[in-house]
Amino acid sequence: MTQLMTNTSYLQRLLPSASDSSPGPLWLQARREEARQQWLRAGLPKNTDEQWRFTDLSPLAETVFSSTAAALAAAPSSDGRLPGIEAAELVLVNGKFHHQASRLPPAPVKIALLSQAAAAELKIFEDLLGTQARPTHHGLSALNTANFSDVVLVEVPAGITVAAPLNLIVHAVGAQPFAAYPRILLKIGANSSVTVVLSFAGPDNLAYLTNSLVETYVGVGSRVELVKIQREGTAASHIGSDYVHLDRDVTFQSLSLNQGGLLVRNNVTVTLAGPGSQATLNGLSMTAGRQHVDNHTMLDHAREHCASHELYKSLLAGRSSGTFTGKILVRPGSQKTDAKQTSKAVLLSSQATMNSQPQLEIYADDVKCTHGSTNGPLDDEQLFYLRARGLAYNQARAMLTSAFAADVLARVWQPALRTMLEDLVVTELHRLEREEF
Amino acid sequence: MPILEIKDLQAGIAGRQILRGVNLTIAPGEVHAIMGPNGSGKSTLAQVLAGRDTYVVTGGSVRLNGQDLLDMSPEERACAGLFLAFQYPVEIPGVSTSYFLKAALNAVRKYHGQPELDAMDFLKLMKQKMKLLDMDTSFLSRAVNEGFSGGEKKRNEILQMAVLDPKLAILDETDSGLDIDALRIVAGGVNSLRGPDRGILLVTHYQRLLNYIVPDYVHVLRDGQIIKSGDKNLALELEARGYGWLEEPVAVH
Ligand SMILES: Nc1ncnc2c1ncn2[C@@H]1O[C@H](COP(=O)(O)OP(=O)(O)OP(=O)(O)O)[C@@H](O)[C@H]1O
Ligand SMILES: [Mg+2]
Repeated sequence: MTQLMTNTSYLQRLLPSASDSSPGPLWLQARREEARQQWLRAGLPKNTDEQWRFTDLSPLAETVFSSTAAALAAAPSSDGRLPGIEAAELVLVNGKFHHQASRLPPAPVKIALLSQAAAAELKIFEDLLGTQARPTHHGLSALNTANFSDVVLVEVPAGITVAAPLNLIVHAVGAQPFAAYPRILLKIGANSSVTVVLSFAGPDNLAYLTNSLVETYVGVGSRVELVKIQREGTAASHIGSDYVHLDRDVTFQSLSLNQGGLLVRNNVTVTLAGPGSQATLNGLSMTAGRQHVDNHTMLDHAREHCASHELYKSLLAGRSSGTFTGKILVRPGSQKTDAKQTSKAVLLSSQATMNSQPQLEIYADDVKCTHGSTNGPLDDEQLFYLRARGLAYNQARAMLTSAFAADVLARVWQPALRTMLEDLVVTELHRLEREEF
Repeated sequence: MPILEIKDLQAGIAGRQILRGVNLTIAPGEVHAIMGPNGSGKSTLAQVLAGRDTYVVTGGSVRLNGQDLLDMSPEERACAGLFLAFQYPVEIPGVSTSYFLKAALNAVRKYHGQPELDAMDFLKLMKQKMKLLDMDTSFLSRAVNEGFSGGEKKRNEILQMAVLDPKLAILDETDSGLDIDALRIVAGGVNSLRGPDRGILLVTHYQRLLNYIVPDYVHVLRDGQIIKSGDKNLALELEARGYGWLEEPVAVH
């Protein structure tokens, strides 16, 4: 592995050739160039980096990814839809917006594309694009900025409640190994309320890469729920970086539901930039085979009187592995911070593994920070109790695994979405049950 | 044919023998009580009968209505009519009592080729059984045993027994921790199960339970063997004199 990582030929290979993209406005050219340089300097994160200890990205350096241009015209499948839910659907195919396949949300929610932006919209892109995802964060963020083919902006103006969820369907389409760089901006005005779903889907048995980057800005007093449903193909790599910036008195909740992909890393960075805000981060991963899912969260308590609450759960079958890293930074002056972090994993096979690590950096004295993690097999006594009442072994296990997932799903705000996710999880748990234990 | 026939049962955990040749036969209609000092193997016997695989059976045989019990999985035993009321019922967060009980009842019904109960009929049955045990139906929506008091957990065991309607009920210290009113109610639940084609095995430390559920036989288990058997008067004698006067193991029953 070390050998591969010192071979740097992949660095250029993963960058677009000069002719690939239109140059765009000057500020964009400058940001892209900065990102190129950062990528060439940093490259793929290595295991020697504390933040990437448990996730080996070297397969990405080995794969030759083809261009995705040919696939853009392809009509996407129905994967990523939310069955039984009336949702606006914004379809991205390999990072490009697909008009025909999309169902636009009703006004006043606005959709804009960087490639076709009018002057007023261009200003929003210029103000927001990349201001959270600084190229210095890690090489993969920079790689997205250097490569994205377009940026989709969803703008929810101030003071409105969007009743139905907004579903951004992020499709990966191709026949050869390819790399896609979806890039999304969510701008939620003050005192608004919305649920945004990000549904990732792609072909099975193909070693493609989705390297997505979503930057979210939430205005004063808003309520925002962000649900990510990651169902990439069975051989896919998924690097998802979500940056969320919260103004004051915001209630923010996220759910990261992971069931697809072979090599998955979710970076979630939430900045509590105004006082009185609350961030609840939930996660549920269900893995089998040789899947690896790494959830890496960073809560930046930049202001006082904010609360963060993290609950990440994993169900691991086969030889799959999981990682949870919960970084909490309490900056000087962020008094009355209340941060709670919990990671729980059920190992459904003796060969599944889980690593959890809290990383606390606290520079204020009047704060409450707690963390805890438990990893282990299903409870033998519970299993026996259910079987002693007549439930078959598999039925008893399914009952316990759904119970394990239940509290994470129960937190989802939208009732219809919650029910749909519960169904999805039950189906998924059957997949895990079929796995060798 | 006996309901339960245990012959020379030997069992233990990794390298340690706990049951050292237990013999016990329960004929249809009979109620047996097992008493004995702490650690003598009473719960081990109950768990082995229910199929707990933490314990390794190293010898002997057990038949339930003529069927080889030791060959069956825990769920098969339950479906075939064996019920164990646990000494320490486990809490199962995230699983509601009604969901669990409905699944259990339907599993047993399916085993016997009966159709599943729908939600309405199930609720009707539950209401009836819960009334019998003076339980509030609000328990149905709570997670199995989660946050239940000691007495509520025991009552929940008896509720499950009443709903599943077993052929052989094994009650492991279901009376421990019950106040006198609860004891009366629980005993009522057990007595209503008594019948000509059923058997009941009570594990208890206290004679007072046997005032309410009068046993046909009382056995004393010590060091993994039944060292004495008698009728209900044996329990009174044990209450008065303790276990010290009982000497060497003797062949029984
Ligand atoms: N899983 C286990 N691991 C280790 N030892 C065990 C286990 N189960 C039972 N034992 C031991 O076997 C012996 C019998 O235990 P058991 O629980 O059957 O006793 P008991 O008669 O039910 O006692 P009590 O009256 O206290 O309930 C005890 O010495 C106990 O410590
Ligand atoms: Mg006991």
